[in-house]
Amino acid sequence: MAEKTGKAGQGKAPNATKRLRLGLGVMLTLLLVVGGKLFLVQGLDVGGMAEAALNSRMTSAILPAERGSILDSRGTVLANSVIRYNIVVDQRVNTKTDSYKRLEQTDGHEKLVDVSRDQAISELAAALGMDTNAVRDAVTGQQPYYIVAKDVKPDVEDRISKLQVPGIVAEGVSKRVYPNGAVAGGVVGFLQDGTTGLAGIEQTQDDQLKGKDGKRLFEIGADGLRIPVGLDELTPPQNGKDVKLTLNSDIQYFAQQAIQSQADKLSAEWGVIIVMDAKTGNLIALADTNSPDPNNPGLVAAKDRGTRSVTAAYEPGSVEKMMTAAAVIDEGLASPLDKFTIPPTYTVDGQTFSDAFTHGTEDRTLAGIIGYSMNTGTVMAGQRLSKEQRYDWLKKFGIGEAPDIGLPATASGILSPPDQWDGRQQYTVLFGQGVSQSTLQTVRAYQSIANNGVMLQPRLIDSYVSPDGTEEKVPAQPSRRVVSDSTAQQVQDILESAVTEGEIKDAGIDGYRVGAKTGTSESPCDDGKPGYCGYTASIVGMAPMDDPRFIVEVVLQRPKGSIYGITNGPVFRSVMSQTLRTYNVQPSTGEPARMPQYAK
Amino acid sequence: MSTAAVKNFPIVSGSSAADTRPAGDPGPGRKSRTPLSVVRTAPRKRRAPFVVLCFAMLAVALVAVLVLNISVSTAQYQLVELRAKQSSLTKTNQDLTQQVQSFEAPQNLAAKATELGMVASTVKGQIDLSTLSVTGKATPAVKGAAAGAVIPAPAVAGQQTVPPASKAADAKGADSKGPDSKGAAADKAATPDAGKPAAGAPSADAAKAAAGQAPAAAAAATPAPELHGGSVPAPQQKVPGQ
Repeated sequence: MAEKTGKAGQGKAPNATKRLRLGLGVMLTLLLVVGGKLFLVQGLDVGGMAEAALNSRMTSAILPAERGSILDSRGTVLANSVIRYNIVVDQRVNTKTDSYKRLEQTDGHEKLVDVSRDQAISELAAALGMDTNAVRDAVTGQQPYYIVAKDVKPDVEDRISKLQVPGIVAEGVSKRVYPNGAVAGGVVGFLQDGTTGLAGIEQTQDDQLKGKDGKRLFEIGADGLRIPVGLDELTPPQNGKDVKLTLNSDIQYFAQQAIQSQADKLSAEWGVIIVMDAKTGNLIALADTNSPDPNNPGLVAAKDRGTRSVTAAYEPGSVEKMMTAAAVIDEGLASPLDKFTIPPTYTVDGQTFSDAFTHGTEDRTLAGIIGYSMNTGTVMAGQRLSKEQRYDWLKKFGIGEAPDIGLPATASGILSPPDQWDGRQQYTVLFGQGVSQSTLQTVRAYQSIANNGVMLQPRLIDSYVSPDGTEEKVPAQPSRRVVSDSTAQQVQDILESAVTEGEIKDAGIDGYRVGAKTGTSESPCDDGKPGYCGYTASIVGMAPMDDPRFIVEVVLQRPKGSIYGITNGPVFRSVMSQTLRTYNVQPSTGEPARMPQYAK
Repeated sequence: MSTAAVKNFPIVSGSSAADTRPAGDPGPGRKSRTPLSVVRTAPRKRRAPFVVLCFAMLAVALVAVLVLNISVSTAQYQLVELRAKQSSLTKTNQDLTQQVQSFEAPQNLAAKATELGMVASTVKGQIDLSTLSVTGKATPAVKGAAAGAVIPAPAVAGQQTVPPASKAADAKGADSKGPDSKGAAADKAATPDAGKPAAGAPSADAAKAAAGQAPAAAAAATPAPELHGGSVPAPQQKVPGQ
């Protein structure tokens, strides 16, 4: 029996082994196939599928940078950005939802309340302050994106979001706000489309103010949820820098109000006041008439949207006589008390010059020539300079050279080379006709006298403040010596005598020593017609004369009425005394200069 | 019998086969066997506590992970809540700052002062506190003197009760009660919104009505009428809706 069994067992065993081996072989082959495919897909990525999957998951979102603010010298905000919301609707969602449920607080506990579409629309209209029908029109339709309301304040947006109207979404946008409105409005400028600067500081400092947008790269699933363990790269946005100006908004307002009143009173075309700190060149006020309100610049005419104080070039007139006097004194060709015998009209080289007032032959000092603003005397004294010298001195005082303060279209004025001057112009440049310059250039020239002969370039932008608070001051541009210290002193005395002894007595301020010079020039016609139309009346002065700190210039273009009856003295006086008071300048001590106007 | 069977069955010698002596009693000349006694079973290896310990550790680990997850999630909720709070505080801060700035704007201050009947002073003097000397001839301000030009108030949308500023006492100034006022809607209809682009069929937010009111007067920075020695009355604030 046993033997039989043994033989039969031996026969079965090889079959089983064969099946086993066959099975193992099949499985190994399949494993090889799977392994190969795995290697192809995972290792070699033949179809580019991993990359395609990553691309469909990866989203980048832009993190907008906040635009920097514009501040005045004391930190008062002149321009800044605030959050506002656009209420947008997906019309398809809203149109097809007739009613929805909303969680409401009633008697202390929350309940799910059914809200009909009509009720939702009327509540939305009430929150927005819009007409219900207008809102209904806005939310009905087939468009996926439609703006219902713009510039909604955050508290209103909060109320609207509580309503949970289907399809309504609030989009955050940044809005530029100018809290001081028309005060310094032309200097600050405004934006185009809420993003790029179009005028003023907003335009020239756009790069600094804009900052750099950040980016967030992340992976998002098909259900719209961010994949937490996926890629998440964050480039934080760099907010723009704040620009700090040298302006004082209180004095800016005062000056704007003063020049606007004066221009309105005399029906002038435009007027300008500049207040400058003589010690540093900082511009304290750049006042214009009809200043635009950057919140709504379209309200003023296009020609009024700039800053005429720096862009309008005109023939300065008698204020230029200061430079002639400084030139002859510095060149040693005359001194303030030199005697000049002046006939009623003065003729030289076939050119006749007369004065604003009729007089006989007078013996005047140089101080008197300036104090009474005599063209005849100025030509008599100024002709001691050669043509080249006259040109060089005007260039030294910055005429023909545009100041660089960071405002667009700053005028450089027109100073033609001396070989192009005709027979009359070579003399008229001595008293400010035949040359043109902006108010800022005149103030800069007077600043060199106020600063004892050293000209400092005007400064409007004081510093940049980065988002982390560090302030980087804008370095002052190189200064240059225009006249010697003693010349400057003598010219200061001449200017002071013009107020104490000369014609400009109404520029005097009680308690302070003031020096000033008036200017009345004929204004060339604007529309290309030859000849002159109207006058430009100006006055420029400095105080206190013991150590001049401030320069104020008041300009009025084409005031109506007799030019000889018009004086800007009271305006100058009020702006200068306001400035002296604001900066707590000590009343003057010592005797004011009283140079005799008539020579003995 | 086969050899296998021999192995299976112990050989019993003839002598012991008929042995009648009791078991355990050693025969003469033979060593005695160890007396049989009940053997206590050796304590089996206790596996239950180990298993319990394993389960306990597992449970502790799971609970620890759960607690960590909960705390992270709570922190995440707190973070979201704090962020929302920060955002709403920022907005409130901006709003309040804007209100302060509106009150501080120089033209608004001047208008409010005029409303209160104040007049700008003209000639002032100075007192030197160290020497108590007075310089300058201070003159009292004259009530009813000409007010001069008025710089328009900033046309910031949505500012509350900003006093208007216009010589001609035209309607001006920003919206007074915010977007909910009914008067704003009426004013919007009345004054054309010159400055801002139209926002399509739905009219713009009422907050823009502020700017809409401004064009009337701000554009009129035109030459003032002849005063003939008279005085300009203080600007009256126009109530929306009138």
